[in-house]
Amino acid sequence: MKKYGLGCLGVAALLLLITVIGGCGGYNRLVRLQQGVDAQWGNVQNQYQRRSELVPNLVQTVAGAANFEKSTLSDIVRARASVNQVQTAQSPNNEAQLRRFEQAQNELGSALSRLLVIVERYPELKANNNFRDLQAQLEGTENRIAVERTRFNEAGQNYNTAIKQFPAVVYAGALGFHPKPYFQSAPGSETAPKVQFDFGTQTSAPAKGP
Amino acid sequence: MSLPQGERQIGTDLECGGLTPLSILNVQAHPKSVRASKWSAVSSHRTPNVFIVCALVFCVAVAAFAADRIPPAPKRYFTQYTQLVSQATAETLNQKLEEFEKKTSSQILVVIFPRLPQGAALEDFTVRTFQAWGVGEKGKDNGAVLFIFVADRKIRIEVGYGLEGAIPDAIAKRIIEDEIRPRFQRRDMEGGIVAGANALMQAAQGEYRGTGTTVAQRRTGGGGRVPCGSGIILAVIVIVVLSSMARRLGGGTMYHRRRRRHAYWGTPWITTGGWGGGSSRGGGGWSSGSFSGGGGRSGGGGASGGW
Repeated sequence: MKKYGLGCLGVAALLLLITVIGGCGGYNRLVRLQQGVDAQWGNVQNQYQRRSELVPNLVQTVAGAANFEKSTLSDIVRARASVNQVQTAQSPNNEAQLRRFEQAQNELGSALSRLLVIVERYPELKANNNFRDLQAQLEGTENRIAVERTRFNEAGQNYNTAIKQFPAVVYAGALGFHPKPYFQSAPGSETAPKVQFDFGTQTSAPAKGP
Repeated sequence: MSLPQGERQIGTDLECGGLTPLSILNVQAHPKSVRASKWSAVSSHRTPNVFIVCALVFCVAVAAFAADRIPPAPKRYFTQYTQLVSQATAETLNQKLEEFEKKTSSQILVVIFPRLPQGAALEDFTVRTFQAWGVGEKGKDNGAVLFIFVADRKIRIEVGYGLEGAIPDAIAKRIIEDEIRPRFQRRDMEGGIVAGANALMQAAQGEYRGTGTTVAQRRTGGGGRVPCGSGIILAVIVIVVLSSMARRLGGGTMYHRRRRRHAYWGTPWITTGGWGGGSSRGGGGWSSGSFSGGGGRSGGGGASGGW
């Protein structure tokens, strides 16, 4: 009988130990995941920043071409100015903040893709080496943006799943772990500005439902 | 080209038009790339321990989901799944690329696929594949892959983070447009591929210093097996603890279950140990020149093109 009681006590102590260790581990895991989302946000911003820095050079090169449509260029310059206003150092905590950021970036993105379409009508510009390099950089940057956005969504998904799972869901909110918003795959925002039709079936970014 | 049936199936499963690497004699399937139902270690075993089977199936299913449609990592620096380059050139190029890793520690691969998987976008597919193969060294991320998709007439140079300085997008684009594309248009596929690989090596030269060995060589030297060994030790401890607990609590009835567990769990470990080691062991001659990814990453740098 005494032996039985001792056994029960041992099991209880073991359970307590597991809970405490598990709790600490769970908290540390949430911190790590949250840092992962923030780090990934940094990567996303880096790439958007990179695109923004390409703009002056691009505008200058294109403006040098004979009678290039000025309205497209002024669109790009305007979009770039508004992009610089929505930079946030930390990953956005709410949906609205991310949407604002995304909308400004999308405007610049679509202005740039319009430019690349129009450029098709200017053979001397297309033959220009400087412009070719810029175009390659722009395409590469658009691709990097798509990759980093996808990874941001993946990091966010891991984090959001973790804070909604059972032991964590009890204390996550109280300790300041709030769900992170996702990038939405708006039409055209994730595709590179060149014309490519086979992106439609790809589901690379987990889009959040409305 | 006599591959066992089981390994052939993986290719069709990947929807890459029956992937059969022509430059590799021994293609071992990377476990991650195989779907749960095709993994022989699971399907061929009949065991009464339903829980373990469920857990294993779940693990494999998760891995398969994450690596959906990603082809297995190549075993050579130059791999063609459709004949485009003569065997002699393939061998020379492979050796050159291996030498390049020894000299600079940067890993440059050339992979020729018949076509993109159904519904896959070029850039998305290549960056995921690059990531799954882990081209380049971990931390340095100094890898680059030249992808060719023959039927789609598409070219992609995927550059790891660490080589973005040496091979910026504009340079990658120029390599495609000036070196590869014109030759491909003249139907000189071999020349285009060799010129592209040479240009990549030239651009990446001097960015990192090599150690005179490759990741594959260091792996076969024993480094790659350590986690597996520690896993076995850990599992042995767990089994010992469990069985002693079981004997104390439940008496003799647990004995049978324990024996079954030994019989079943033995197999997966042997399989895991098998692909960790790689296939090149001979330390020179033909078996050298095998590639093993170091865990490098790419953020989608590089350029795309076509012909």
